[in-house]
Amino acid sequence: MKTPAISRTLSDYGMVLVLVILCAAFSAATWDEQSPRGAAAGEQVAGFVRARVAPPGPIVIVAKRTPEDSDFAGSIAESLRGAGYRIAATVQGDPSELRSALSALVEADDVPAAIACGESPPRGLLSRLDSISPRFADVPVIAPRTYRWPNFLKSDNLLNIANQIAVIAIIAAGMTLVIVTGGIDLSVGSLVAFSSVVAAVLIRDYGGAENASIASMIGCCAASIGACALVGMSTGVLVTLFRNPPRIPPFIVTLSVMLMASGAAYMIAEGQSVNQVPPSFVWLGRGADLGRVPNAVVLMIAIYAAVHVLMTRTSIGRYIYAVGGNAEAARMSGVPVRNVLVLVYSVCGGLAGLGGVVLASQLRSGAPTYGIMYELYVIAAVVVGGTSLSGGEGRVLGTLVGAFIIAVIQNGMNLIGLESYTQKIVLGGIILLAVLLDMMKKRLR
Amino acid sequence: MSRFPTTSRRGGAASGYWTIAIAAGMLVLAFSAGCEDGGATRSSGVSSEGKPAADSVPRGSPSEGGNGVIGLSVLTLTNPFFKVIADTMTEEAKKEGYDVIVTSGEFDVARQQNQVKDFIVKRVAAIVLCPCDSRAIGPVIQEANAADIPVFTADIACLAPNAKVVSHIATDNLGGGKQAAKGMIEALGEPGGKVVILDFKQAESCLLRVQGFKEVIERHNAGRETGRVEIVAELPGDGQSDRGFKATEDAMQAHPDIAGIFAINDPCALGARAALEKAGKADGIKIIGFDGQPEGKQAIRDGKIHADPIQFPDRIAVLTVRSIMRHANGEPVEPEQLIPTELYRKKDAESDPALR
Repeated sequence: MKTPAISRTLSDYGMVLVLVILCAAFSAATWDEQSPRGAAAGEQVAGFVRARVAPPGPIVIVAKRTPEDSDFAGSIAESLRGAGYRIAATVQGDPSELRSALSALVEADDVPAAIACGESPPRGLLSRLDSISPRFADVPVIAPRTYRWPNFLKSDNLLNIANQIAVIAIIAAGMTLVIVTGGIDLSVGSLVAFSSVVAAVLIRDYGGAENASIASMIGCCAASIGACALVGMSTGVLVTLFRNPPRIPPFIVTLSVMLMASGAAYMIAEGQSVNQVPPSFVWLGRGADLGRVPNAVVLMIAIYAAVHVLMTRTSIGRYIYAVGGNAEAARMSGVPVRNVLVLVYSVCGGLAGLGGVVLASQLRSGAPTYGIMYELYVIAAVVVGGTSLSGGEGRVLGTLVGAFIIAVIQNGMNLIGLESYTQKIVLGGIILLAVLLDMMKKRLR
Repeated sequence: MSRFPTTSRRGGAASGYWTIAIAAGMLVLAFSAGCEDGGATRSSGVSSEGKPAADSVPRGSPSEGGNGVIGLSVLTLTNPFFKVIADTMTEEAKKEGYDVIVTSGEFDVARQQNQVKDFIVKRVAAIVLCPCDSRAIGPVIQEANAADIPVFTADIACLAPNAKVVSHIATDNLGGGKQAAKGMIEALGEPGGKVVILDFKQAESCLLRVQGFKEVIERHNAGRETGRVEIVAELPGDGQSDRGFKATEDAMQAHPDIAGIFAINDPCALGARAALEKAGKADGIKIIGFDGQPEGKQAIRDGKIHADPIQFPDRIAVLTVRSIMRHANGEPVEPEQLIPTELYRKKDAESDPALR
């Protein structure tokens, strides 16, 4: 037993530590050859070409149809032309286009002295050029020098993880409030489906379908979020219907709401996915206005900041903890227990609605099949984040960490190539361990 | 009021160590699983037969398969049909020096989208999808298009506009429906009779099966006075045995004299059979199923289902891998490739070595 300060830090930020360890471990496990991209790769390959082939070449440049590969092709062409080489052709396209371009060069008796490609190692057609013509048998394919870096730690992937968990994390912020009051909300998964369907159907029927204006889209999404908040509010009213215990358990109320919301979603959408929405509808879920950070992630961060302030700096936050700690004592000390409960269920419903809108935006359609099992992932994120299911304690930033732990595990296991059955077992085991940790904390107190 | 946040944060002195122990436990859990299955799903392929690249280029790590990785995300692995596709593709791709990463959306298109995004980060050589939602899968296919990774669909098509798919490889469901109708006409024989269809309107493939079925039945009835085959009802069977069971019970209430049932897949056909058995009418009413899954074939052998147009998931998988190879090699690939079904009757089942 070291100093209390160290162990307190560990118990407060233990889950952050777990997250860091997981990231480190997945980085090690996805350590892989990477091919440099863009203009720098172009410069590098131009250097290799100069070392191996004397000017004027000729040289063929092969790249993919991505912006960074266009940079590669541009920079290598410029650099080689400057050194006196002739560029016989630049191919950016399907392998079939590459085949026809190279065949044309053979026809014209202009077989290149080397082929420069943007991806290392060269694969597919580039690894069996002699199938086009035996004259390619001695033509070297020159590619950038690979370096080793974890797939997990690529910036694309890190943004990917944040974007993948945004929906779950947004809902989990609301769920944290509910669980801190000692309740539970099983209806969030169905509300995601309900909200995505309501928003998409409203846009289709009243917003102008594919030609909907931005204002009408915002209106339709706000209406569907509002509808979910109303559903949450009625859940709260039902939970607090009886002034004194025994009350109706939130488990049962929200179980019924879960079934009703799911049924309603199927009814409104007539069992189909609704995709008559304008292309600009994907702005929220897939756009990125702040540098490369997706808008959904910005929204998620804003919501966590707001809920954190609510929980730690306002009297409502104190009330929420008080209700979860001991509802009777809270009532005696003048906390408006019923209003607090109605409020947290409304917020939770509204955030589930927002999650549904974000998901609909990511997928550019609403469907009643969305949100399957989300309630369990959301509850898992809250519990892994250190919030106690018996209420009264927990922090919303812990939930954010919990959500990221789940996202990192899922993403990492996908990158490693684990099949989905095993993923379920691992995820279940981790939730169990998190609850064990929660119990240990209590017992050792 | 003892549990306000300020007090609730206090952990016991030893709880920090518990955190560490549990973190270690999680890692062991994640990676012991990783080692077991990583070996199975990512066994490296044969090294490429192509000539080596430039000397200055180090070769790809052997664990990555000689030629690269194919990312596969199926609808669900709980259905043997997709399991066969996944297993056959893995095996077939290995012969070409590719590894296959098998994932499953389990009917959740958002999850499938995440799997595809992970494939894009990994820069796989090709992506194969059995979409969980033919339209909602569109945006992520467009992301793969933007990264210039070729996308193929197997069994279920992508209907989203602007999403480019190199080739769609699937069963010829329309032709299969026609074969089902032939099987039905043959089963009912000269007298004909009333027929009920158990459909699944949400699935494009099942709509095609019903369409082909009706076409042939109409042609059969044209100009015929006696021995007509009359479709009296189309009820939702949802491709599930419990729904097939209920729908068949309802159909028998409305039409006590039905002579045949066409169910759009095997589970639904077996549900119908159970309802007939319960009502004591199992011998008089002929069932035509679809798919040819092992349980369906067994039922045909036992005389419970008259016949099935059977699908060939293994052929779909093999053709998909071949199409990926052709595309990578710069050879032309048809945008849609259909694999015909075959009508499978009792005598086929009796000589089927897979059944006993």
